[in-house]
Amino acid sequence: MNLVELVLTVGKIAIVLGFFLNLAALGVWADRRQGAMVQDRVGPNRAVVHLPNMLARLIVLLPPALFGVLSIFLALGNVTPRLAHERALVNVQLTVLVTWLSLLVLCVTVQRGGAINKLEEMFEDIDPRSIFFGGLGLHALGLVAMRFVTLDGAPAAARITGFVLGGVFLLVGLYATSRVPEGSIPLRLAGTLHALADTIKMIFKEDFVPKNADRLLHSLAPMIAIFPAIVVTAVLPFGNDLCFADNGDKVFGFADLGNLVNAVPASGACAGWRVPLQIADLNVGILYIFAMSSTGIIGAAIAGWASDNKFSLLGGLRACSQMVSYEVAMGLALVGLFLVYDSVRLGDMAVWQGQNAWGVFVQPAGFLLFLTALCAETKRVPFDQPEGESEIVAGYFLEYSGFKWGMFMVGEYLEMCFASALLVALFFGGYSLPFIHPDGLRIAFGDAILYEYKMTHLAVTVISVLGFFGKVVLVTWFQVFFRWTLPRFRYDQLMKLGWTKLLPLAIANMMLTAVVVLAARSAGPAVASWLKILADLSQALIAVLTLAGFVALVVGLLEPVERKKFLASSAARFAAAMGGVKAEPRQA
Amino acid sequence: MEPLDRDLEEGLLELPSEPMMLNMGPSHPAMHGTVRIVLELSGEQILKADVQIGYLHRGFEKMCERGTWSQVFPYVDRCNYVSPMLNNVGYALAVEKMLGVTVPERCQYYRVVLGELARICDHMICSGAMCMELGAFTPFLYYARARENIWDIFEEETGARVTHSFGRVGGMANPPSKYFKDMVRAAVPRVLALVAEGEKMLLKNRIFLDRLEGVGVMKKEDALALGWTGIVLRACGVPYDVRKAHPYMVYDRMDFDVPVGTTGDNYDRFMCRQEEIRQAARIIEQALAQMPDDGPINVEDARIVMPPKNEVYTTIEATIQHFKIVMEGIKVPAGECYSYTEAGNGELGFYLVSDGSGTPFRVRIRPPCFATTQGLEQLIKGAMIPDVVPTFGSLNMIGGECDH
Repeated sequence: MNLVELVLTVGKIAIVLGFFLNLAALGVWADRRQGAMVQDRVGPNRAVVHLPNMLARLIVLLPPALFGVLSIFLALGNVTPRLAHERALVNVQLTVLVTWLSLLVLCVTVQRGGAINKLEEMFEDIDPRSIFFGGLGLHALGLVAMRFVTLDGAPAAARITGFVLGGVFLLVGLYATSRVPEGSIPLRLAGTLHALADTIKMIFKEDFVPKNADRLLHSLAPMIAIFPAIVVTAVLPFGNDLCFADNGDKVFGFADLGNLVNAVPASGACAGWRVPLQIADLNVGILYIFAMSSTGIIGAAIAGWASDNKFSLLGGLRACSQMVSYEVAMGLALVGLFLVYDSVRLGDMAVWQGQNAWGVFVQPAGFLLFLTALCAETKRVPFDQPEGESEIVAGYFLEYSGFKWGMFMVGEYLEMCFASALLVALFFGGYSLPFIHPDGLRIAFGDAILYEYKMTHLAVTVISVLGFFGKVVLVTWFQVFFRWTLPRFRYDQLMKLGWTKLLPLAIANMMLTAVVVLAARSAGPAVASWLKILADLSQALIAVLTLAGFVALVVGLLEPVERKKFLASSAARFAAAMGGVKAEPRQA
Repeated sequence: MEPLDRDLEEGLLELPSEPMMLNMGPSHPAMHGTVRIVLELSGEQILKADVQIGYLHRGFEKMCERGTWSQVFPYVDRCNYVSPMLNNVGYALAVEKMLGVTVPERCQYYRVVLGELARICDHMICSGAMCMELGAFTPFLYYARARENIWDIFEEETGARVTHSFGRVGGMANPPSKYFKDMVRAAVPRVLALVAEGEKMLLKNRIFLDRLEGVGVMKKEDALALGWTGIVLRACGVPYDVRKAHPYMVYDRMDFDVPVGTTGDNYDRFMCRQEEIRQAARIIEQALAQMPDDGPINVEDARIVMPPKNEVYTTIEATIQHFKIVMEGIKVPAGECYSYTEAGNGELGFYLVSDGSGTPFRVRIRPPCFATTQGLEQLIKGAMIPDVVPTFGSLNMIGGECDH
C-alpha cells in the first residue's frame, strides 16, 4: 500500500465511521422520540446551544452566499454548448427549487410569527400548499422551456440562468439573515443535540465499579463489545468503484487523483487505477463480518461475569447462548445468497444486484431468515432477553455507569445501523439503484432498451453513494420502528425458534437454492434471457414502488393536519361544556 | 496408550454444581409493590421460590382501630389503590350490615356503576402492566388512556382521581352529578373500543401467546385450598363470583355472565379479565337504565348520616348532629359481622367487631391478594425466570392488600 492509498483509506474510514456514528446517535434520538410519542410527551429536546447572534447570522448567510458566488463564478466560464445546455437546465430547476422552498419557509414563518413588513403581509393568507403546487408547475414549465433553447443559444442561456440563480441565492441568504431575531439564538435541532449532551454527561459521570468486581475485565468488556461493531464496517462497499486514469508513470500517485475518468463502459471495467469505495476489499468478504461480529459475544459475556452481580451473569449467559445460536442460522441463511451471487465479496454482490435483481427478490426466504437472525444478533425487541429489563433488570450491563455504559449503548446502536447496512448490501442492492449502470441510466427489459441516458462516472458514483447511505438510513428507521409493540420471547422459546425452526429452514433454503441455481445455469440461453427480463421487471417494480412511496409521502405531507384529540374532553371541560354541574346541595 | 476415560464413571464426569440464590426484589422492575422473591436457580430454572411480602407494612388494621368508623374509609382506599371505589363500598356495606340499614335504591345503583367502572380500571391496568413487563409497551398505553376516560368520571363525581374516599356509611359522600349518566354512557363505549384495540395487538401475536399459554398453571383443587377467589379462581374453572353466588346491592337484578377459564394458566387469567371488562360494561349499561334519576342517596337516619353543610351552619340540631358523628363516631351496635363483596381481585371481606362505641374494636380485612400471593410460589416453581413476570403480573398482586 503506498501513501496515496493510505490517505484514501483514512478518508474512507472517516466517511464510513462518521456516517455510522452519526446515524447511531440519530437512531438513539429517533428511538427516544418514538418512545416519547407513544407516551404522549415531548421527546428529548432540552439540550440547547445558545448561539451568539452574529454566529447565527453567519451560519444562515454563509451557505447561500457561497452557493450564489459559486454559481455566478461558474456562469462566467466558457463551456461547450452541450454542457452549457445541461447547466442551463440544472440552473433553471435549481432556481425554481430555491425560490419555492424559500417562499414556503417564509410563508410558514410569517404565519407562525407574524409579518414584519408589507411584503410579508402578502403571505399571511396564502395556503403554503399553493406555493408548493406553484413550484411544481414552474419546474415543469422550466423543463418545457429548455426544449426551445437551441445549442447555439445554450451558452448565453447558461450564463443568464447562472446569474439569476446566483442572484436568487444571495437574495434569499441576505433576507434570511435579516430575519434572524435579535439576541442569542437557541439551537435545538429538533432534539438531536440531546445525543451529544448525553455523551458529554456520560463522560463526566462517576465510573462505578462494584466492590468485588474484576476491575480489569470490567473495564475491558465495553471495549470488546464496541470493537466488532466498529471494525465490521470495513468491508461495506458504499459506492461504485472510482476509476482514475494513469498519468503515464505507471504508479498510482497523488497526481493520478486528478485524472478521474470521464465515463466508464457499462461493464464498469476500468483501465487505470481502480479505487473501491470500501475501506478494505477483502477476499473473504462477508466471512470477515461473521468472524468479527461473533467476538461481540465475548464482550457481553465478560461484562456479565466481571460485574459480580447475578443478574449480570444471567444476562451475559443469555447473550452468549443467544448470539452463538443465531450465528449459525444467520450464516446458513446466507449460503443460498452466496450460491446465487457466486461470491462472498460484498462488492461483487452489489454489482450482481445492480446487473440482475436485488437479493430480496432472488432469496425471499433467506431474507426473512436472515432478518430474524439479525434482530436476534443485535439484541433488539423481541430478542432483547440479554437485557430484558423486567426480568433481569438490565442484564449484562447492569453494573455499568458513565462512559462504559455509554460504550455498550453506542455499540448496540452501531450494531443496529450496521445491521441495516448489511441488509442493504446483501438484499437491497447495496449501492446500486434500479436501472442505474456504471455508464448511466438505462431502462431496459431484456434486450429491449426503452430509454437511455449517459452519465459521467462522477455523477454515477455520487448517485450510488447517496443511494447506499439513503437506503441504510431508511432501513435503520424501520428497525427503530419495530420497537415498543412486541413482547419479548422467553429464553427457551428463543432457543427453540433458533435451532428447530430457523436452522432447518435455512438448510432447506440452501439446498433448494443449490438445485435451482444449478438448473438455471445449465438450462441454456432461453431461460437465461427470461430470467434477465424477470430481473429487469423486479428493478422496475422497485423503481415504481419508490416513486409511489415518494408521491405518497408528499401527498401525506400536503394533507391538512387534523390533530385528533384522543379524549373527548376531561371531566372539567365536559362539565363546563354542559353548563356546569354540582348544582345540588352537598352532604358534608 | 489407554483411553483416558476408561475408569471414569458417568456420574463423576459431571461438574459439581449448586443452585444459585437470586434475590428478585424488593426493588425490581417486575415486583409491583415491594415484594421480594428469593429464587433458588438451576440455570434459569426456578427450583425453589420464597415469596416475601412484608416490605410494605403500614399496620393498616391497627390504624383502623384508632379512629371512628367513618375514618376507616381513607385506609381502605389504600388497600387496593387500583380500584378504591370497590373497597369503599365493601367497607360501607360491612358497617351497614352491622347497623342493619340498607341504602336507598338510587345509591345502590350508583355504587354498582362506580364499582364496575373501578373494576374495569383494575382489570385494564393489570393486563396492561403485564404486557408492558413482557416488553409490549403500546397496549399498556392504550389501556392507560382508556383508564383516563374513567378517571375523568371519577374526578367529576368524587373530586379525586385515585383515592376517592367517596363511600360513606349509609350512602355516598355526594349524590351523582347532573350529567353522571351521560358521562358514563359516553365513556364506556370508548373504553371498550380501546380495550378491543389493545387486545387485537396482543392476541394475534404468537410471542405473547407463547409467553402466556401453559405458564403458571394452577389446579382447581389447589386454588380452592389456597383460598383463591376472584379472577384467578375463575380462571381455574371454578365459577365462584360473589356477585352471583351471594348477590349484594342490586346485582341480582343484573344480567351478566361470569367468565370461567379451563386450565388456570396465565392466558386464562388474561382472557377472563378481558371478558370481565365487557361484562362490567354490560352491568353498567343495565344499572344506568334502571337507576332512578331522583330520590335520596343516603339513608334518612340522623344518627348515621351527616347533615347537609348549610344546615350545620344554620340550625342547632344539625350542628349537634354533625358534632356527635364527627367527635364520637357512628354508634354501631356491639357485635361482629363478616361482610364480603367482589372486589377487583376477588372476595374482599371485612370482619368487623364492635363494642358499641363509635370506634371499631377490630377491623380484620380479608384481602383477595393475600391469598392469591400465597400461590405464587407454587406457580413459578419449575418455571423459568422470565415466567415470573407474566405469572406475577396476571395474579395482579397489589402491595397494599398484602399488608398483614
